[in-house]
Amino acid sequence: MSDRKLPRLLQTPAVLLLLVWMLIPLGITLYFSFIRYVLNSLRHPEWTSPSLSNWRGFGNYQFVLNSKDFLLAIQNSLFIVCSILFLTVILGVLIAVLINKSFPGQGIVRVLLISPFFVMPAVNAVLWINMILDPVLGLQGIAVGGINDILDGMRTMPVLGGFFSLWPEFEPISFRATQTSAIAVIMMVTWQWTPFAVLIFMTSLQSEDQQQKEAATLDGAGTWSQFRFLTLPHLGRPIAIVVMIQAIFHLSLYAEIEIVSRGNGNKNLPYLIGEFANNNIGAASATGIFAVILANIVAIFLLRMVGKTLME
Amino acid sequence: MGRIVLDKVTKSFGETQVIPPLDLTIENGEFTVFVGPSGCGKSTLLRMIAGLEDLTSGNILIDGEDATEVPPSKRGLAMVFQSYALYPHMTVRKNIGFPLRMEKMSQAEIDERVEAAAKSLNLVDYLDRKPGQLSGGQRQRVAIGRAIVRDPSAFLFDEPLSNLDAALRVGMRLEISEMHERMQTTMIYVTHDQVEAMTMADRIVVLQAGVIEQVGTPLELYHKPQNVFVAGFIGSPKMNIFSGPEAEKHGAATIGIRPEHTDVSMSEGTWKGTVGVAEHLGSDTFIHVHNTGLADMITVRISGDISVKHGDTIYLTPQAEQIHKFDAQGLRIE
Amino acid sequence: MAIVAQSSKFGTYGRPVLAWAVGLLFFFPIFWMVLTSFKTDADAVKPEFLFFFTPTLENYLNMTENYDYWRFARNSVISAVSATVFTLFVSVPAAYAMAFNPSRATKDVLMWMLSTKMLPAAAVLYPMIFLAKGIGLYDTHILIITVLSLINLPIAIWMLFTYFKEIPKDIIEAGKMDGVNTWGEIKEILIPLAWGGIASTALLVFIFCWNEAYWTVRLTTIDAATLSKLIEGNRAPEGLFFGRLSAVSTAAVGPVVVLGWFCQKQLVQGLTFGAVK
Repeated sequence: MSDRKLPRLLQTPAVLLLLVWMLIPLGITLYFSFIRYVLNSLRHPEWTSPSLSNWRGFGNYQFVLNSKDFLLAIQNSLFIVCSILFLTVILGVLIAVLINKSFPGQGIVRVLLISPFFVMPAVNAVLWINMILDPVLGLQGIAVGGINDILDGMRTMPVLGGFFSLWPEFEPISFRATQTSAIAVIMMVTWQWTPFAVLIFMTSLQSEDQQQKEAATLDGAGTWSQFRFLTLPHLGRPIAIVVMIQAIFHLSLYAEIEIVSRGNGNKNLPYLIGEFANNNIGAASATGIFAVILANIVAIFLLRMVGKTLME
Repeated sequence: MGRIVLDKVTKSFGETQVIPPLDLTIENGEFTVFVGPSGCGKSTLLRMIAGLEDLTSGNILIDGEDATEVPPSKRGLAMVFQSYALYPHMTVRKNIGFPLRMEKMSQAEIDERVEAAAKSLNLVDYLDRKPGQLSGGQRQRVAIGRAIVRDPSAFLFDEPLSNLDAALRVGMRLEISEMHERMQTTMIYVTHDQVEAMTMADRIVVLQAGVIEQVGTPLELYHKPQNVFVAGFIGSPKMNIFSGPEAEKHGAATIGIRPEHTDVSMSEGTWKGTVGVAEHLGSDTFIHVHNTGLADMITVRISGDISVKHGDTIYLTPQAEQIHKFDAQGLRIE
Repeated sequence: MAIVAQSSKFGTYGRPVLAWAVGLLFFFPIFWMVLTSFKTDADAVKPEFLFFFTPTLENYLNMTENYDYWRFARNSVISAVSATVFTLFVSVPAAYAMAFNPSRATKDVLMWMLSTKMLPAAAVLYPMIFLAKGIGLYDTHILIITVLSLINLPIAIWMLFTYFKEIPKDIIEAGKMDGVNTWGEIKEILIPLAWGGIASTALLVFIFCWNEAYWTVRLTTIDAATLSKLIEGNRAPEGLFFGRLSAVSTAAVGPVVVLGWFCQKQLVQGLTFGAVK
């Protein structure tokens, strides 16, 4: 019947565009991952243009697997994503429950809270690593400096001075360092995405059945039991949504990682690809294929989890 | 104009066949009601006639022409939906005039027809409101108005009254019946409410699991139900149906007796039982009788009031000529 | 009522105080950025001028005069607006088809679309540059608009799909009975009914386009460079020029943050993908 076929045809442009968008670059990446292809090479100028005669088989994959950064990057990718998910969901639920009931200025607090979500990721990273977290010039440095100044003052006090002189000077933390740069990234992304979680949970809380809660009160359930047995299960689906959307965005984190430490001690897969791509396109492409595989594993897992709720 | 013929129509969703081959003819000007329990396929059948649902096989003929492949709007039918399906962003005037605008009719003629429809449905004062500002009954009228203006060869109603409260429902039922008397257009009406079916229909089609159990006038169905299902479905309170030795006495596998066809006595009768609940409606009394040894409960209906109370012993006597007899397959024995 | 009565002191004092504290805490970095943008670079790092200082517009003047802010801003507007329009142009019909004429494959198609969003950009960056340069589109608006549209297409389709599914199927069918064709269904019924949803989808796509940095930085040099590129260029000397950096950042995120404030409610509803009723 013609008036059924036409509507279905309407989705083909979108499908075709996405298919092309996925397959062509992916095809090229796949091709590059099997050849020797570098941007600069004095000894092998023939490797600087892509050609089948530079076939390397699985050589690029072996090279990537043997590089010490690869496993670290995978671990780090998962570490960062999982930490952010954990923090945003916990904080999101707590804050949503806090601001769900009406209080003076609720609307303004909502607006204040959502703001970080609209900030450009690059600005977010620049803002945090420089003006807030910098150990000398940022607010952290200034705050630690201030505390140390106060301590210095106390040491000169007549009686208690001896006690305070036992205290060490506080050291500001450098968040560009190997051990801490991942923390900085987690911090800034959590700041940006907690508001998203809060608002989604809040929307959901507002649809919570109030009669059910009243019935629970009559049944003798306290505030905690109500939260545990009514509110949390009610938030199950929105939590799944928050986890899925965030996973999609955070698996490809890049700007934050680059700006915080240029990948020092804190590479994720996209960043590692970027590093390889400075010269060794073959290796970068092989890493890219690994990243696609990882993303697909996560995708299957996540879509299974949320897929059902979306079609209802 | 408006003779609709279903010729070996079937419908399957995936592997499951919801409507096995079905033949039915709806005569021009007839008010036909499809009735049956929920999930019996009556709405699917209506939507297939409307063209909103594809046929898996078979043909639909409207006024002798094969309409199986004709898109819904070209079939000359108008439909009133259960949810009214008004366009919430349009005023009542725009809603009613919408199908005419789609036919590219001139604005003057649209206005004229909308005014006429609004007048006949008492909607003149509401023409510039949006559906959200109307009551349920008014929305229902707008939906009917949108169907009337097209001057269709047949109206299709999909449980149009089920979202209204009881009082409004009775009123709208009368209005639709009157509309049919006035217009004499074919109407097909789907409902699960057998009272609606009995009061409105020229002809009732009783459906169960996609199969037509019986087609007939309301009184035919009442007096001569072709099988146990129709016997139990038509009539309120429901017919008492039971099998066993008492049925065998009448030479049947199953017998049925309507509540209103049973006489009651406090001293003597064919069957003895104990009064359970007695419902006093004023005009009638429904007595639910237990411990008869025939069925869990026998319901009887007595005109006027009778003073019985819970636990009283009571005697029932069926009116012999009103006993319905059915064979082992559940089919009527004459 | 009992619940309200119980929440005595916490309800009247504790909750508002705590809620305001959390709100202010989350907003503080943005406030700090805006505040710093009115300080000179020298004042910005001095503890004594933390909150009390002589405000100056020097950074903003400097930004517009020496850094060509308006060109970057214009490019951002052009690419984000065009990409949003193009995305809607493709996604509205697609979401319509999926919501009202679903086939058995619809669910899988939707899933697959979303999974393309998980494709790591870095994995296909080099081929993209290679292709773009090959067909001479590198550093053009066309390229940026296309890429921005494609990366936001899945999210747009999903959001619209969610909104469209809320429209009762009966209304679409009534339209069919009343004689509208497919185009009429979209124009006369779908778009007027889902207007709010379409607007908030457009807004979100616009915000994502505006904030996009990975592709816009790497596929442009000058001609099509957006505000992300301006940020990229100004962040290099770490720890210095806080005033200037803040001014550029404020100018880059300001429009979108304000836009977001006005539409937060509708935005959230679309983003819940119908999982929250």
